[in-house]
Amino acid sequence: MRWLPSLAAVAALFPALAAAQTRIDFFFPVPVDGKLAREMTRLVKVYNDSQKEVAVTAAYTGSYDETKLKAQAAANAGKPPAVVLMSANFVLDLKLAGDVISLEPMLKTDGTTRTKFLEDFWPAVHANAIVDGELYAIPYQNSTPLLYYNKEHFKEAGIDPEKPPQTWAQLVDAAKKLTKADRMGFGLPEGYDYCGWIMEALSMSNGGRYFNEEYGGEVYYDTPSMLGAVQFVEDLVFKHKVMAQGVVEGGALSTNFLAGKVSMMLLSTGSLSFVRENMKQPFGVAFVPKNVRNAVPIGGGSLVMFKGLSEEQKAAGWKFAKWLSSTETLGGWSRFTGYFSPRKSPYETPEMKEFMAKNPEAKVALDQLPYAKPWFATYQTVAVRKALEDEVQAVLNGKKKAPPAEENAT
Amino acid sequence: MTSVAAAQASFGAAGARPALGHRLRRRSLPWLLLAPSLLLLAAFTYLPIVRLAWESLHDKPHGTATTLWVGLGNYINLFADKAFTQSVANNLVYAAGTVPASMVLALLFALAVQRSTRFNAVMRALLLFPSMVPLVAAASLFFFIFLPGVGLFDYYLAKLGLRGANWLGDPDVALWSLIGITVWKNAGYYMLFYLAGLQTLPGEVLEAATIDGASGWQRLRYVIVPLLAPTTAFVLVIALINVLTQVDHVIVLTKGGPSNSTKLVLYYIYEQAHENFAAGKAAAASLLSVSFLLALSVFSLKTMERGAHAAS
Repeated sequence: MRWLPSLAAVAALFPALAAAQTRIDFFFPVPVDGKLAREMTRLVKVYNDSQKEVAVTAAYTGSYDETKLKAQAAANAGKPPAVVLMSANFVLDLKLAGDVISLEPMLKTDGTTRTKFLEDFWPAVHANAIVDGELYAIPYQNSTPLLYYNKEHFKEAGIDPEKPPQTWAQLVDAAKKLTKADRMGFGLPEGYDYCGWIMEALSMSNGGRYFNEEYGGEVYYDTPSMLGAVQFVEDLVFKHKVMAQGVVEGGALSTNFLAGKVSMMLLSTGSLSFVRENMKQPFGVAFVPKNVRNAVPIGGGSLVMFKGLSEEQKAAGWKFAKWLSSTETLGGWSRFTGYFSPRKSPYETPEMKEFMAKNPEAKVALDQLPYAKPWFATYQTVAVRKALEDEVQAVLNGKKKAPPAEENAT
Repeated sequence: MTSVAAAQASFGAAGARPALGHRLRRRSLPWLLLAPSLLLLAAFTYLPIVRLAWESLHDKPHGTATTLWVGLGNYINLFADKAFTQSVANNLVYAAGTVPASMVLALLFALAVQRSTRFNAVMRALLLFPSMVPLVAAASLFFFIFLPGVGLFDYYLAKLGLRGANWLGDPDVALWSLIGITVWKNAGYYMLFYLAGLQTLPGEVLEAATIDGASGWQRLRYVIVPLLAPTTAFVLVIALINVLTQVDHVIVLTKGGPSNSTKLVLYYIYEQAHENFAAGKAAAASLLSVSFLLALSVFSLKTMERGAHAAS
């Protein structure tokens, strides 16, 4: 990477050449499905062909975790990617580590403010984009948990397939009717990462908060709302016996759901297309059942910019990030992937209205969006999350009982 | 590079003082020949270890920009961390579960297919097959085999009227599932070494034992196994190194869970370095693993020398 500075020097000597084109790298992960990588590559090509100032090289970098590692490694080697699509709850930790840069100077150059810039974005995605009162990320693709259910099983059990459970009590009731010798009435994805997200959904549906949205040094693991959520999970397994004992990973859960071995599950809206394409029996989706209130955490990815960029690269990266998060691009990406658009305006376009009419499940997911709240992001997000997950997993395996287990996590 | 310069200097001096030049040239030649590998070893092995040692004595608290000298602080934190001690304990169970089992299986396989027949050639290939599959790929396959309820394993168990466990989701079972994969994967590989070892056994000793009336078991117990000691020592070292350096299946299948039950030391290091922004702690744990591996190889080289003498 030693040649980079000299290359920059050459570029500075020939301002005409430098102005002609700025080359930047864009790293993106594909957390859900392989076809997304091809669509993203196509999008970047469209952008490169549409203008002459910026040449973007897109690199598919695996999962969110791998993308974080690769972007940090590239930045340490002196060749930072200008734009990275990053898991939205890594932004806080990356800012603390000094890896990502504030986007406020770019907003200023554009003559706009953070508030104006975020006006068109759903309120739920704001918190994960802002750290210490400054904009560090542009929300790009978002999801929430959703209740999926097998309509065929509902009919068999004598439940109206058009009236899915809306409360925890109704959920337990339905799950009991649905459970048979070789079938579980309900399932949750309980592997690391997914488990924390689902526990956030349950504790918020129970009227609580998972973490302090304003201050990343505080989580609410020993509150009645969280303890109640853990108790609920324990009861589903051991008291009502409607959920499998032990940890079930997201992939295993969706496979079981598709195979008709589980009748209802909570899973990301991001899996909608996958389930739609692979499910043989009719299925429906509904809001995450509530105990106290409807509430779900938002999840997904945001665009961030890395430290160590030249001024030209910064400007070029910003230009590209704005294009990627424009109404038109976000609308198309949302229809292609099944993610939400973090912007509201794409939903006003005729293409989107037509899409929603054709895909009623996507409509349910969208209707739940006003109840969405920020994704947990704390100091050392992963370690803090795992502290809770380890305890929940112990409860799922019958190794611990709910309330004392949760006190250990704090 | 210095040795090249020295060699050139010696060439230059050769005309003036032939005796000294000759001596210099003779002395520099080995260094010259060793230079490429020394350079590579330095760049990719020794310098990283030195750097690791340096980093293990420093810490950059997450959220700050300064690197601090903390002395042995990282090591103290390491041993105070329950997750680390548990990962060491997990690693010990993992070693006890994988090493003897895969070595015994390897020896049995090797004995079973040691005669060169066409059937044995096919069998050898079949037994070796698991070790040719990359661990990542094998782990991905086992994800489907171990799926609770609908996986291949549970499917066949159900045919026998048995109900499978939650292979990867139960903290009491998950580590043993990983041990099973490892044994399945490594036994065939170690078999290769035992096959090679069996080829070199002196035939007359075995014949003498047979003539003296030793039974099959006695030949194995008192002749073959002792004569294979150098091979066993070698395989043991390879197996122990694998215990500490293989982590792909943990990453693909369990990510250390549930409840830390499958967290091996290497995965702990990965977690500290990349998830928890604790590079100092990760460096300290890495240095401990490297020291263990170094001690292991020094010890094994010594035993192997002794073993070789005993065998000859």
